[in-house]
Amino acid sequence: MKQKITFKLNNEERLVEVDPAWTLLYVLREVLELTGTKEGCGYGECGACTVIIDGQSVNSCLYPILEVEGRTVTTIEGLREASGELHPLQQAFVNEGAVQCGFCTAGMIMSAKALIDQNAKPTEADIKESIAGNLCRCTGYVQIIDAIKTVAGGRRT
Amino acid sequence: MSDLTTVGKKITKRDAPLKVTGGASYIQDLKIPGMLYGGILYSKYAHAKILKLDTTKAERLPGVIAVITAADVPGNFRFGIMKDNPPLKAGRVRSTRDEIAAVAAVSAEIAAAALELIEVEYEELPGIFDPLEAMKAGAPLIHEEMKSNILKMPWKLVCGDVEAAKNESAYVVSDTFRTQWATHCCLGTSGCIAVFDMGNNLTMYSNTQIPSLAQNDYFEALSAFGLKNRRVRIVQSAIGGGFGSKLDTYAYEYIAILLSMKTRKPVKFIFSREEEFFATSPRQCTITKISQGCDKDGRLTFREIEMVLDNGAYTSWGATTPSVMMMPISSLYKVPNVKYVAQCVYTNNTYSQAMRGYGNPQATFAIESSLDQLAEEAGLDPYELRLRNANEPGELTPQNFKVTSCGLKECMAEVVKRLDWKGKKGNGNGRGVGMASLIHVGGGARVYKSDGCGTIIKMDDRGKVDVLTGATEIGQGSETVIAQIVAETLGVSIDDINVINNDTDVCPWDVGAHASRSTFVAGNSALGAAQKIREQMLAVAAQNMDVDPAVLDIKNGVVFSTQDKEKIMPLSKVLRKAHYTPGGNMFTAEHFYDPPNENFDKEFKGNLSVSYAYGVHGVEVEVDRETGQIKILNYIAAHDVGKAINPMLLEGQIYGGGLMGIGYALGETMIYEKGHLKNGNFLDYKIPTAKDVPPVQAVIVETDEQAGPFGAKGIGEPGLVPTAPAIANAIYDAVGVRIRDLPITPEKVLRALQEKAQADAERSGA
Amino acid sequence: MGFEYHKPHTVKAAVDLMQSLENAKFIAGGTDVMVLIRQKKIAPAHLISLRNIDGFSIIDNEDGLQIGGSATLSDIAANDFIQQRYSALTDAATQLGSRQIRNVATVSGNICNAAPSADTACPLLVLDADVKITGPQGARQLPLDDFFLGANRVDLKPGELVTGFHLPPFGMNTGSAYIKHTRRQAMDLPMVGIAVRVTIKIGGSEIGCKDAFCTIDSISNILRRLEDEELRCEEVRIAMGVVAPRPVRARRAEAALQGKVISEALFKEVAEIAAAEAQPRDSIRGEAWYRREMVKVLTKRAILKAVDRVLRPDDMIHPDRLW
Repeated sequence: MKQKITFKLNNEERLVEVDPAWTLLYVLREVLELTGTKEGCGYGECGACTVIIDGQSVNSCLYPILEVEGRTVTTIEGLREASGELHPLQQAFVNEGAVQCGFCTAGMIMSAKALIDQNAKPTEADIKESIAGNLCRCTGYVQIIDAIKTVAGGRRT
Repeated sequence: MSDLTTVGKKITKRDAPLKVTGGASYIQDLKIPGMLYGGILYSKYAHAKILKLDTTKAERLPGVIAVITAADVPGNFRFGIMKDNPPLKAGRVRSTRDEIAAVAAVSAEIAAAALELIEVEYEELPGIFDPLEAMKAGAPLIHEEMKSNILKMPWKLVCGDVEAAKNESAYVVSDTFRTQWATHCCLGTSGCIAVFDMGNNLTMYSNTQIPSLAQNDYFEALSAFGLKNRRVRIVQSAIGGGFGSKLDTYAYEYIAILLSMKTRKPVKFIFSREEEFFATSPRQCTITKISQGCDKDGRLTFREIEMVLDNGAYTSWGATTPSVMMMPISSLYKVPNVKYVAQCVYTNNTYSQAMRGYGNPQATFAIESSLDQLAEEAGLDPYELRLRNANEPGELTPQNFKVTSCGLKECMAEVVKRLDWKGKKGNGNGRGVGMASLIHVGGGARVYKSDGCGTIIKMDDRGKVDVLTGATEIGQGSETVIAQIVAETLGVSIDDINVINNDTDVCPWDVGAHASRSTFVAGNSALGAAQKIREQMLAVAAQNMDVDPAVLDIKNGVVFSTQDKEKIMPLSKVLRKAHYTPGGNMFTAEHFYDPPNENFDKEFKGNLSVSYAYGVHGVEVEVDRETGQIKILNYIAAHDVGKAINPMLLEGQIYGGGLMGIGYALGETMIYEKGHLKNGNFLDYKIPTAKDVPPVQAVIVETDEQAGPFGAKGIGEPGLVPTAPAIANAIYDAVGVRIRDLPITPEKVLRALQEKAQADAERSGA
Repeated sequence: MGFEYHKPHTVKAAVDLMQSLENAKFIAGGTDVMVLIRQKKIAPAHLISLRNIDGFSIIDNEDGLQIGGSATLSDIAANDFIQQRYSALTDAATQLGSRQIRNVATVSGNICNAAPSADTACPLLVLDADVKITGPQGARQLPLDDFFLGANRVDLKPGELVTGFHLPPFGMNTGSAYIKHTRRQAMDLPMVGIAVRVTIKIGGSEIGCKDAFCTIDSISNILRRLEDEELRCEEVRIAMGVVAPRPVRARRAEAALQGKVISEALFKEVAEIAAAEAQPRDSIRGEAWYRREMVKVLTKRAILKAVDRVLRPDDMIHPDRLW
């Protein structure tokens, strides 16, 4: 039976009518038409669907939509400044060659954001740990890690 | 050449800003109003007769618009290089990925539910899963209409006299190597949307790597389906990875077309991750027997290779990988006498197609592992043996490849230096170093009759440039490299360049994003068109500035005289002048570049590519002798790239290829049991994660390839060609065991160590 | 096939809901349940979420350690007290899945799913955890070892749910470690998992024992020095994962080690006994002979890691790295 829920999405209060069996990923992509978050596997094994809920990175493909009620959700679409300027992480990904096909990128950036928001000076090991659940087949991760490092203040370009 | 402003610089990827904001549209994201969702029913068995197929219940499910089976496919249409693959199978199924029925419904959920309602009765038949078994006389035929399970595609290359050379060799080694099925694991799965217009012309929204060739494939299909002489348009979405997985067409695409024809609505297919694993075509697995020999001075005398390839139930590019495997076999190092024979054999397994390297990684694993064995036999350091036989610029190889630029020795030197080869080799304390080289095509590859790519450039009144290219952007950066080349040639800012590459209605012909050819071929094509337009513009500018066009140059969008810096004219003014004059002019230029390489002759000889890419990988490993686990302590990937048009993107190809190679060497394998894939998911098919990245250095060696755009050659595939043998060789140096069968798992290493310990004990009479 | 989703705020409400609904299942983080539903292995009509129960995720360190029913793996991984006193559990929590998974997955869920490969199982077994359960018949508590009944089966009666775990307090002379043997460095299930808890007593000098670990040396040499200093294992627990349908204690191996002075010969014996107690099988994830070999190798390493943690509590002793 469909229900109405409210939650904060990218800094806006949203009211959405949902089927309890829907996942957050389904609602984002199919109902709210925010297709930046991707489905790579549907089993929580690739991280392409990563979003941030209450400051923590989660796989939205496994997140029951009713659990979202009352929470704060951030997706890739919510990262840009109001002026349109890219978030430093997004800019760093562009600058450091961290994007090839781009399918893993949204999830990767959200995992990185969750890390930086909790830990302003992560080590390389912290960075690798934060994105260990985000598979990438194109880049070999090196430039992704470098990009996150530039924002984390660990390395200057 | 004056100082370059764009080429050779770290320019950010043109599509990156859109991708980092989540704004790029992949096939998964596309919707057309009224669109239906497709689903495919696959065979339950690897080999069976279909006794009964009843789709009535599925048809009756509310929301289901159409259900089709083989009976709904007009004519005897088959696709694939051997035309042995019907889009929907009837009567008999030959593999677990055989498509037997398909539905189109108003939602993906209803399509899935409908598939469950299709009733199939099978009579299971015994299957053949070993190509060596399938080759034997009297083995049951996979395709009854063929007389044998061995494909009529005899691959044979003979150069010189291998038998004589064998007899004259001072040292000879022989061994057998095996490689596994591995798969692309593109993060974005396969998919398409098929839609017809009122004239029955087809538009396919697709993530194909071969827009022009697919256009042709669909054109032929439409003909077979009764729609003769229609237009076919391919619109490419953003592509979530290719790596060769989209170099051939698949059954699901023809099924989408058929369903769209039947329902008169757009029909969308998106593969689930499971389907991506079992229903797309993986890297060709190989069984390779190899012998190599050298004289007493360590000069290679011969190389003899025999391969058996599991062709699976139907044929795609896997069967043609021998054509590329011939390249390292005949031309990696100087080997005067070569013999290569490969047979492809039908079985009830999955069937392979192209995957990054296209057979080169498989062949190089055997060749470079064997070379280390030869070095040991001859009492030479493996680096020394390689150096003595290294290819050099200007060489003609036994297969008639004309080597132009060649940085093989420089790459070897980089590896030896950075790895501290001399310091680390032979220490034996569980740590060791190994190296392996590669040759790959770097200047296009004439695998089809054409190796061409077209470019059309047009300019607007403001000095903005539209570049229409046939080259496909699969994430590798072809779009950006083309923009750089055009910006450099025209003297404009790269931000003024707009590359259009995703619509066959607009873009010129290209044979495909394969063979690492985009930078070289599409780059040269764009360069040619840019040079033409530059001439046109300078001619008009010269008229207006009253100078000889020969003294003019363009920088930052301003035309200026090199002899009088005061004489300037902004490019936009030149363009408006040309356009807004009575009897005016518009600026467009086109260039179709088909590189001067050759198709193979009947003996498989010919200069396949205009230039060849070389490289050497060196690895330092640590082997945990108790668990068999391998840790990579240092990885050096040195590549001869001609010229790095964009060093940042180039490094990305080296890192990405290298890690894919590490996955191939150490952990990736598709586990099949009697034709059923057991690990079709990301948990059990293990591609490397961020925590699996070893310390790695990408070393760019520039040899300035004259034929390449600004001296560049290809890099897309080389990154993973020598990885597996470099690692296998390092393990041998570390602990004295050689793994001949990929992937190199801890079990194999531990088993080998135990057997070695036992053999050593027996030998010393303990 | 859909389901209704309920969010009770108290344990009682959760229990009552389960009583009143047909075909209902408890769900915590969902990283197992949502996967099972997607794979069509289960098709519940109702999911009863345990994520909104007041006070349910609390981790408390009075009287040993109390882990709440919806405490997540991230909560465990971030807890310094657990890292110091119950290190094996931290090892499991930091290596399970990915950060995204750990942010929602719960210890209860990992245990109740009862896969033979469940990462938190072996650490909790060696740390003598009790499972706290409540249901329509009231509350009960039992040792974790009695809770596992077989592959994916636990001793939960209809309507019952796990409300948490209680671990006894351990002193400064007790150390623990969990080694997860995997093919890649993240996002992996163990081929074999070994957890060890050991309480030591040193006959000779503590400095001597510390020194043994400080130099980069072979395990042989370390063991010899520990033998010289008469380092004794007073109490020991060894648990093994993926070598039987459920996580198991290697009781005979424990008995062989208990009360004895560490030596190379003893270690070899203990490892062989543990391997003999293991009943691994062949699967697509690993071969039986190899798993048995790894029991031998990793039992030794896990014991040494546990001992090292007692001697050098301030060092970050990574369970997967050699000295």
